[in-house]
Amino acid sequence: MRRLRALLKRLINLFNKETSEGEFSAEMESHLQLHIEDNLRSGMAPQEARRQALLRLGGLEQTKEIYRDRVGLPFPETLLRDFRYAARVLSKNLGFTIVAVTTLAIGIGANTAIFSVLESQLWRPLPFPDSERLVDAHIVLRENRRQWGVLTSIEYRAWRERSHSFTNLGAYDYPSNRNLTARGTSERAEVMRVTPSLLDTLGVPLETGRGFLPEEETPGRDRVAILTHTLWQTRFASDTSVLGNSIVLDGESYVVIGISSPRLHFEYMEEPAIFVPLAMNPSKQAPRNTYVIGRLAPGVRPAQASAELAGILETIPKSDRADDSTASVTNLRETWTGFAARSLFFFAGAVLLVLLIACVNNAGLLLARGLARQREFTLRAALGAGRGTLIRQSLVETLILSLAGGVGGTLLGLWGAAALAAFIPQDTLPRNTSVGLDSRVLLFVLGVSIFSALLTGIAPALLSSRVDLNSVLRQGPSGLSTSRSQNSTRGSLVAIEVALALVLLFGAGLFLSSFVRLEQAPRGFDAPGALSFRVSLRGENYAQPEQQQRYFRTLTDQLGSLAGVEAVTVGTGIPLDGYTQFESVNVKGRPPRGRHGSGVITYAVARNYFDLLHIHLLAGRPFSPQDSESSQSVVIINRNTAQTLFGSENPLGKVLEFVPDERRGTSVRPPVQIVGVSENAQVFGANEVPFEVLYFPFPQHPAPAADVVVSSSLPRGALLGAIRDTTYSLDKDQPIFDVQTTDDLISASLGGARFDLMLVACLAMVAVTLVSIGIFGTVAYFVQQRTREFGIRLALGATRGRILRHALRRALVMGSVGLLSGVIVSLALGRVLRGVLYLVPGERAGMLYGVKMDDPLAMSLASILLFAVVMLASYVPAVRAARVDPTVALRYE
Amino acid sequence: MKNSAQRDLFPGALEMMILRTLKRQPLHGYALVQHIKRTSDDLLQIEEGSLYPALQRLLKEELVKAEWGISSTNRRVRIYKLTAAGAKHLERQVSSFEKMLEGITRVLARGES
Repeated sequence: MRRLRALLKRLINLFNKETSEGEFSAEMESHLQLHIEDNLRSGMAPQEARRQALLRLGGLEQTKEIYRDRVGLPFPETLLRDFRYAARVLSKNLGFTIVAVTTLAIGIGANTAIFSVLESQLWRPLPFPDSERLVDAHIVLRENRRQWGVLTSIEYRAWRERSHSFTNLGAYDYPSNRNLTARGTSERAEVMRVTPSLLDTLGVPLETGRGFLPEEETPGRDRVAILTHTLWQTRFASDTSVLGNSIVLDGESYVVIGISSPRLHFEYMEEPAIFVPLAMNPSKQAPRNTYVIGRLAPGVRPAQASAELAGILETIPKSDRADDSTASVTNLRETWTGFAARSLFFFAGAVLLVLLIACVNNAGLLLARGLARQREFTLRAALGAGRGTLIRQSLVETLILSLAGGVGGTLLGLWGAAALAAFIPQDTLPRNTSVGLDSRVLLFVLGVSIFSALLTGIAPALLSSRVDLNSVLRQGPSGLSTSRSQNSTRGSLVAIEVALALVLLFGAGLFLSSFVRLEQAPRGFDAPGALSFRVSLRGENYAQPEQQQRYFRTLTDQLGSLAGVEAVTVGTGIPLDGYTQFESVNVKGRPPRGRHGSGVITYAVARNYFDLLHIHLLAGRPFSPQDSESSQSVVIINRNTAQTLFGSENPLGKVLEFVPDERRGTSVRPPVQIVGVSENAQVFGANEVPFEVLYFPFPQHPAPAADVVVSSSLPRGALLGAIRDTTYSLDKDQPIFDVQTTDDLISASLGGARFDLMLVACLAMVAVTLVSIGIFGTVAYFVQQRTREFGIRLALGATRGRILRHALRRALVMGSVGLLSGVIVSLALGRVLRGVLYLVPGERAGMLYGVKMDDPLAMSLASILLFAVVMLASYVPAVRAARVDPTVALRYE
Repeated sequence: MKNSAQRDLFPGALEMMILRTLKRQPLHGYALVQHIKRTSDDLLQIEEGSLYPALQRLLKEELVKAEWGISSTNRRVRIYKLTAAGAKHLERQVSSFEKMLEGITRVLARGES
């Protein structure tokens, strides 16, 4: 205890030194005076009295020193001294300090930005209490566990009733967009269907009202709703009287029974506005729409839980379960965010390269400065500083630089993270979280700063602390020469930088090449300037197909008659907008392919759909007015369907039959006869394997939700106004949404790739800038060291051209070695990352499309560009060397 | 400088004398030196340079405490006082010192005869 107190005292003294030392001085002074007075009394002369007193007291400074060593803690104190000294040195070399700190700030800032995105997306706990106990329970194919499946309510019920691994188990279906009518107005709202137990499982209690009751899971008793806090605030002005009242969703009335907590956020999906019960239909045709979240019981591991659930699945009758699948239980956060991890980690790797370049750059700068300070180091060594002391001093200097860089990096990183969040395409990030400064980010910055200090400082510290007292002190400044080892270290630092930069530049080249290919990939449709919007008819007035058909026919007729409108068409989806329906077909008269037939995407489209969107008809006939409700059902298939289903056979006239879909429970369509073959048009984006697509005539297969596409010469604003007027007058309860041009769609489909390209290009640019600074500095330093030598050479008759070549040769060697190793590293990295980076449509999601990992064009462009930068950055100081005046150079010291 | 306190005396002797002196009355540094010198009839010369580090050690171990006061000659001085722990420490030191002295004396006496 006493020891502890002593330590504490010393610690306090560390910061309190001024006063404590002042006290001691005062005490010594009074001692001295007392002694002098005594001596005077005994008859000494004043001079002698003082001298004797001083002699007796012994060396005043030594005494103080002994005292001091006892007062403070030696280690932190010397460290503090080192810090003070380093700060002084750095502030004297402001230019160097600014360059070094800025370089590091850029490197650390880029890393901080990416880290804070990683943190907010991947690692931050989900916004539920004790969320790491939450798991996603689902099924996976036995032969390929990466292939996930969704549960039916039957399977979910079996799990819920019989499992013991969970304290609670709940299920939900993804939010869907529905018409909400309340208090006289209607709008679209995200409605999420949940089991009564889901909100309890998540552990966020309601604000007011009650939760769903178990019996409200049964169809018929499920007309109750819980509003989210946000909707309650914005739509109902936080009025509690809404409890017990009714709201209307898609024409059906629901009683409001509760308001959710303002803390309930999912972050992961479209935030729901309303919860309604996920009704469990006991019928055999249970749809696969049940996503299960569980809260693991204490001590249960996910693997144990999934083994238990797999066992329960086995007990369900084969007809009621997916018999090719088994259960899997995974951490909810990892499940929701996993898909983004790969590309985020890739970018983390890229910014790490930038940081490495920054560190190498600074190491080069420090090394140069170490040489300039050789005399200082020598002197200090001569005065008794050990090698350890010198190294510590150097490291403290780099630590200060790095910490300053860290502060700058934090600011840059915050700005960068905000910029990232603003530019990043919406669908690329899994969670809707705020990116910001929190303790983890700060800790990361500190770690990275110290890491870069060590990385930057070790080599220069070791090299410059290795002083040869004898030679340096004897020779004086003009004799200072660069040792071979220091020169080659600097050379290899530059080569390393060049190699790292080449990796980034080559990467940027690949992304550019991939983007160009994506942009140029045939889209199969073309409708510049066409505006599309979507209507989703809800309510009793549109329950019948004829009513849906009539609405869309009237709407297209009215829009078509507007002045300035050239054509209007309707389709249940258009290329790239993502509205698709998956179905399964078999060719009539042939054995079915597999258990489920062939999967196809289906659209119901108006007659002029192909004309307006310029989807070419390759064979057969277009739809005609005769293809009506009462005539034979027909279909136009795309080129890809013709190939996969019929090969070289002529598909025209063949009949397709639909496989009843137990997952959807939709009514089975009648068989359709193929009358035409169209070109493949992209469905989701350029990087897809062409899908098998079927087009039905809209009158034969009307749908309640469809896109209306308008091609017009009107300005967008005027057209949109006219569209709103028309739809409002037709039926004011049917809002329009997803208003966009086909150009928007194309641009959005390239958004992810464009963002990847931008980010990598930015990083490559930063890398090239840093490298050019580094090379400029190195060559300038090299030249300056040899000014005298060049002067002698010039005086002895060397031409300026020779001097220039001599100075450039070094840069050439460093650059070439760097480029060569960069090429090797890039190719090796490409080989390792091929599996991660390259996209194989339909097989593997990736970031690069259609380029090879050793793309010669990207490689040569990157090499040439970097080589040009190296030569340019070294040319300027080399020319300066060649211009040197011999007389000046010889006098130069 | 490190072993200056032990140059002429055995380890701990200076501390012991300081404590013993302070047990009689609180004193400032200079008075301490004078007092020890006087009471030992000038036999013991205290290295003044080692006095303060010794006092510092004692302060740190809380065997003495110090406060600022005014000397008889009206000078601002730091006056040292013995603490309770210091008194106990002194007792232990003195008894062990006496035992040691006795031992030494016996050895020396036998050598003589």
